Amino acid sequence: MEHLILLAMWLFGFIAFLLFIPRKEWRKGLLAFLMSQAVIWLCDMPSFKYGLLSAPVRELPKATDLPLTINYFFYPVLFAIYYVRYQPKSSLWYRFTYFFVWATGTTLFDIMLERYTDLLEYQLLTWYGMWIYIGFLNYVSQACCNWFYKDEALFQTDGRPS
Amino acid sequence: MRIEWWILLAVYAVATGILFFTPKNKIRLAVVAFLFKQIITFLIGLVVVQLGLLEYPIRFFSSVSRTSFTYEYYAFPVICAAFNVWYPNDRSRLIQIGYYVGYASVLTMAEVVIEKYTDLIKYIHWEWYISWISICLSFYLTRSFCVWFFAKGRV
Repeated sequence: MEHLILLAMWLFGFIAFLLFIPRKEWRKGLLAFLMSQAVIWLCDMPSFKYGLLSAPVRELPKATDLPLTINYFFYPVLFAIYYVRYQPKSSLWYRFTYFFVWATGTTLFDIMLERYTDLLEYQLLTWYGMWIYIGFLNYVSQACCNWFYKDEALFQTDGRPS
Repeated sequence: MRIEWWILLAVYAVATGILFFTPKNKIRLAVVAFLFKQIITFLIGLVVVQLGLLEYPIRFFSSVSRTSFTYEYYAFPVICAAFNVWYPNDRSRLIQIGYYVGYASVLTMAEVVIEKYTDLIKYIHWEWYISWISICLSFYLTRSFCVWFFAKGRV
């Protein structure tokens, strides 16, 4: 059962990335993916170490206590879609709602995993703790991506490997 | 404190030092190389430990991860960022190949010395040339990704 869910996450992750991120935005999507992955990895290390949550069923049980699919692939894909579809010039109210809805959606998914499967198990963490945690992860990733794209003009010329 | 912890701290210090030498107009290139390298080292690093090819007896976050967080999350990606930032793009093919060989050889030599004299890493079913080849390959993949990422025709 758990393995099927993991497989489904890979499958739907790929499909969602291709479906919801237009071809010309792939660079942006991949950057958001990489950024989110780095943030999640860094933050989950201490979270798992200090027993906030655990992952009883996981992909590489001997090598790591962290869940690979969720951390490495699925949540970063969700964030990439979030970031590419985000409209920075819209009203404050819209941006807040958008952020709120994504964080809540991800948290709901996380809570379902916790509740009905052995993929995740909250230890010290509560559902609202997870909600704050995911909001925090998304916020940090977004801030880093915004910094990366802060000066679009500069970006066009400076980074090219030459 | 054991010598291994000092080495780990020194690795953080040196890697951070290397970052400071990144020219301002290449910071974004460094970021992309760093992040892309991470997803390679993260996955491969975990898989080789899972398969029991390598062991890192002394490491940070030892209770949750049996791989080297220092090397895979920070040190190796930083070196890869430097590799891309200083890449001799306008020079001859020979110099470019030499650049690869130089980076891979220095890293492999450092790893072999560390393997031999400390408890930071232990080869189980592993040889130095596997390190050498995988380092070259991961540099090449990252380089290719960076070239694509910053390519002119943004399709």
